[in-house]
Amino acid sequence: MAYSDKVVDHYSNPRNVGTLDKSSTEVGTGLVGAPECGDVMRLQIKVNPETQVIEEAKFKTFGCGSAIASSSLATEWVKGKTIAEAMTISNTDIVKELALPPVKIHCSVLAEDAIRAAIGDWKAKNGVTETAEVAVAK
Amino acid sequence: MTNGDDVSTPPQSAPQGADYFSVFSLPRLLDLDMKAIERAFYRRSREVHPDRFAQASAEKQQWSLEQTSLLNDAYRALKDPIARTEYLLRLEGITLAEDAATADRQEKKNVPPELLAEVFELNMQLEEMRMNAQMGEDDPQLRRDLEQAQAEFAGQFAGIEAAIRTEWGKWDAASNSDNSADKQAAAERMAALLDKRRYVRNLVRDVQQALGN
Repeated sequence: MAYSDKVVDHYSNPRNVGTLDKSSTEVGTGLVGAPECGDVMRLQIKVNPETQVIEEAKFKTFGCGSAIASSSLATEWVKGKTIAEAMTISNTDIVKELALPPVKIHCSVLAEDAIRAAIGDWKAKNGVTETAEVAVAK
Repeated sequence: MTNGDDVSTPPQSAPQGADYFSVFSLPRLLDLDMKAIERAFYRRSREVHPDRFAQASAEKQQWSLEQTSLLNDAYRALKDPIARTEYLLRLEGITLAEDAATADRQEKKNVPPELLAEVFELNMQLEEMRMNAQMGEDDPQLRRDLEQAQAEFAGQFAGIEAAIRTEWGKWDAASNSDNSADKQAAAERMAALLDKRRYVRNLVRDVQQALGN
């Protein structure tokens, strides 16, 4: 099975690899994993407290090419979005953009989970209630 | 225990109407007397062996081949403790994470957060170890940390296998008393343990590779 060009591109030139200060109140950290393939993914966002815009996003993923590409793309997409907008990113968008085959769909699910976990962490730190969840429905 | 899931076994779909337990006239229990099964296997093997049907009709010869092959598959599936547990859970319709990975949108498997954090940290160290190796350097502290992690995960691995055996007893007891709620609960705990076992086994393998032993 060949990887799509976009997967190869993200895999060979991953965007936004790195770490943000986990202890900062502006930073939300999501750590998710898939035991079946041994993938672990950490996605972090830095949110402007005034505007709720995600100004910075970093990731570090151990796993297959599709998992790395999915999380790389996720950081690209969340940057510049508000928290509510970022919550609408779904794994099917990632599947389409990267042309992931069915056996790799779980990688995109993991990336979506990572975004949500990071946002959840940021909300918990900042005492934001879950009313913004409404924005998830498309 | 051996790594039964490393052995390539044929597709584990039981033949119609028969499962590998029934091949040996056994109920679906896990704590089996393997000595007795081994004796039954050799006895049955002799009975259906193709050599005995060399002069028989083509139909009989075909039957002998099929029986021999079914017997071999059944013995192989039941002999290894982990393969046997996985086989029984699949028979009972339990989805293992391994099977769910290819599903369109799998059920969420809950991985304990502390295990994830531990795995992430370990992967960071493994990456550093590999980079050092590429540069031809060795960091003794890092090596010690990884060796410690290796011992820890090996211990966890043994603990998981012991826990699976404990669940066998619970499954067998619930089966004997026909308690389907307890059976289901034991089956789910075994599925979770098997998932964790796979995860930890991969970690042990990765650490071994990075340490070069």
